[in-house]
Amino acid sequence: MTISAERPVDVEASVPPANVEASKGRAGDWLSQHIGTAIICGFLGYILGHWLGNYIGNTYGNIANSGQNSIAVTLALLFMVIGWLLGIGALNYPLAKMIGRQPKGEVEYTGWSRYFRYNLDHKVVGIQYVVAVLGFFFTGGLLAMAIRTELLNPTVHVFAADTYIKIVSEHGTIMMMMASSVVVGPLGNYFVPLMIGSRRMAFPRIEAFSLWTFVAGYFVIFSALFFGGFPTGWTGYAPLQTQAGPGMISYLFGFAVISVGMMTAGFNLAVTIINYRAPGMTWSRVPVFVWSMIATAALLTLASPVLFAAGTFGILDRTAQTAFYVAEHGGSSYLWENLFWFFGHPEVYIMALPGFGIVGEIIPVFCRKPLFAYRIAAAGMIGVSLLSFFVWQHHIFQSGIDPDMRPLFMLTTELISIPTGFIFLVGMGTLYKARIRYEVPMLFCMAVYFNFLLGGVSGVFLSDVPVNVTVHGGFFVLSHFHYTIMGGLIFAFFGGLYFWLPKMTGRTTNKKLGLWHFWTMFVFFNLTFFPMFVIGLLGQPRRVFTYAKNLQGLNDFSSVSAFCLGASFLIFVANLMWSQFIAPEKSPSNPWDSLGLEWQTATPIPAYNFERIPVIMTDPYHYSEVGAPVLADFGNAPPVHAASAATDSTDPDQ
Amino acid sequence: MTDIIKKSDTPEEREFELRAHIGSIWSGGRLFIGMYTFLLASLAFSYFYLRSSNNGLLWRPNHITAPTAYGWTIYSLTLLAVLMAIYGQSRLRKGGVSEWQGAVWVGVVASVFALFLQIWEFTAVPFFPGSSGYASTFIGYSVINIMTIFIVAYWLETTVARSLRLSKELGGTAPLLSMDAAAQSFRANVASMTYFLGFVALASTLLFAMFYLL
Repeated sequence: MTISAERPVDVEASVPPANVEASKGRAGDWLSQHIGTAIICGFLGYILGHWLGNYIGNTYGNIANSGQNSIAVTLALLFMVIGWLLGIGALNYPLAKMIGRQPKGEVEYTGWSRYFRYNLDHKVVGIQYVVAVLGFFFTGGLLAMAIRTELLNPTVHVFAADTYIKIVSEHGTIMMMMASSVVVGPLGNYFVPLMIGSRRMAFPRIEAFSLWTFVAGYFVIFSALFFGGFPTGWTGYAPLQTQAGPGMISYLFGFAVISVGMMTAGFNLAVTIINYRAPGMTWSRVPVFVWSMIATAALLTLASPVLFAAGTFGILDRTAQTAFYVAEHGGSSYLWENLFWFFGHPEVYIMALPGFGIVGEIIPVFCRKPLFAYRIAAAGMIGVSLLSFFVWQHHIFQSGIDPDMRPLFMLTTELISIPTGFIFLVGMGTLYKARIRYEVPMLFCMAVYFNFLLGGVSGVFLSDVPVNVTVHGGFFVLSHFHYTIMGGLIFAFFGGLYFWLPKMTGRTTNKKLGLWHFWTMFVFFNLTFFPMFVIGLLGQPRRVFTYAKNLQGLNDFSSVSAFCLGASFLIFVANLMWSQFIAPEKSPSNPWDSLGLEWQTATPIPAYNFERIPVIMTDPYHYSEVGAPVLADFGNAPPVHAASAATDSTDPDQ
Repeated sequence: MTDIIKKSDTPEEREFELRAHIGSIWSGGRLFIGMYTFLLASLAFSYFYLRSSNNGLLWRPNHITAPTAYGWTIYSLTLLAVLMAIYGQSRLRKGGVSEWQGAVWVGVVASVFALFLQIWEFTAVPFFPGSSGYASTFIGYSVINIMTIFIVAYWLETTVARSLRLSKELGGTAPLLSMDAAAQSFRANVASMTYFLGFVALASTLLFAMFYLL
């Protein structure tokens, strides 16, 4: 430890770093780099790339019945991404470094415009991520509504069969990519430095780069719709992949771009947690949310390169005419399946672990109890993270695996339920005999346990080969992963948003609207997806726009519930608009009486988070403990005792 | 360095921030190796998967091989860049700043030349990219190797450019060897880069053997 609790008193006044210039909006700022210039440069890049691609490959890479050239489409998307990054300013620093320069006069915008720029403040990046993932979620949600509309009737169709599968594919891909960053991006970037007592991220430029790459990836995947979509679902299986139209290039290239965003986000988070923990923040005092972030960061950093490689090989198949996934020319479609799922199963935990982290962080606050078996929770997360690399072949039990290998992967898959179960039991232990305050964030956390129980238990069933063979490719599997990802992660994300928004914006959210949002979302989520277990067991396959007549009642019930579920998110949007913009109400600095370090700094949070780097004395879970130790020494601020926030208050304004 | 330390920091805080920064360069370099290992492992997996499945006996008809003269030259140049960086770092530790700079410049030139050759090799491969499993994975290897050599060249070039700037900014007799925060950060970056380049040498050797010798 380098900083003692005894602080020198004569400190200089706080000033921004020398090469950072503060600006509240100068004349001519609109000429500098921002999202507008990024869009323009991206558009110009697209045109340039398309022209160049046609020039190079007009006799080489034509795609049948599409009027498109694969090289033109690939170069258009590549140049669009480069143009986008150039336009937003992401490449200023790497280019300046080549001539040995520091970027000159990086402007630290303080007004609204900072949210539309390449900003190095982790709090701004966190907010930018919130908007980006909500945009992803909105688009994917609209496509889900289209799917449920089509499934209202097995014989009267809204869409053609091929249009339907393209909608399903786009929905799945957008949602999975959104879910991979939905917590790490917004809440991880915003709160990890605050929770570990750091003033900054280790690599703020890499952090900002991850955001703008993530957004670029969204545009690329979305562009598939303009190229006629892709028919493979989110898994992109070959050989259908190699036979598909130009929309498939958007899918492959989009995955490659987003995987770069995921790698960089995970890399930065991991390095920050390892190195920037405040003095005294030993591994046994690290908040459980931070544990979930480092476990997720490890997966992001190590699994995403495999997705990048798989996407790159797919693009080479379509442009350079290689045959990685073409069995007739010495390749193998199973190669894609193996590479994809080697990334794809850790991806499931990239989505699940942050949800556990949020819940583990929130429930002690509303139970006023220490987190039960904290060390087991942390060990469980690391265990899940490690084991997730050894289970991928259960996705290909019926395709591309030696049948003799099935028992091994059945076993590893069942093994992973053990650390997952630990994490679940940590939650149950914390809830046991607690005097729970049923605030909106807590309700979302309780829902996570309910939903994840159904999702998790059905997952254990699916790991068994006989069950897997029976229900594979049907609505049972679909319901299982919606219960784990939406029922687990997305509920946790909203719980986290309701919990931390007062700190992020300084404004309180409307409790009544929050309760309406929660109950409608919880009820209609279950009414939408529970019938799908039954529909699946009755034999309805996924990704098919028609089904047996006797399943119409269940499908209609599920569809109507899905529309109501979609409407529940409008309540959230209304709450956000109302409480943040129309009738903003100032939030108390610590409305939930949390002991988390992030709540102990001022609201709004200063640019450098903490005036003095805190010295941590204990973990943040000593709720309701008599004689609880001092939480941390904040230098020139009065020390916060763990017991001082350990009231049984039911009024958040107290 | 100006953006990692606040002017208002106490000496202890400055020390903490500096240690965290240097630790980040150290652990970031190692994590980057981990990330890159998984990328290269994906390529190696593809190679061995297609080789062992040998679909339609089309793994490598007639044992056709990519041009070995190109392969040896690219491999040798990459290795030269790495060896120069390792030699340079050993000289830097003994105070030989100009020798380090000279060695790294040689490394930059070697890696740029290797990059050029790796791209140019596409014009000389004696097979169609989709003619076999080997041909496909070789094209994939070439693309990833272009990326790898580009990273090597970029890291070497930006480090030596930074050393020139720092020498001017810091002044004094041996600015890069001083205890100034910027100089410490610079040396940590050199150490991290050299470690990564050692990994590149090892990986290049394995991949070279797979694609040109096996």
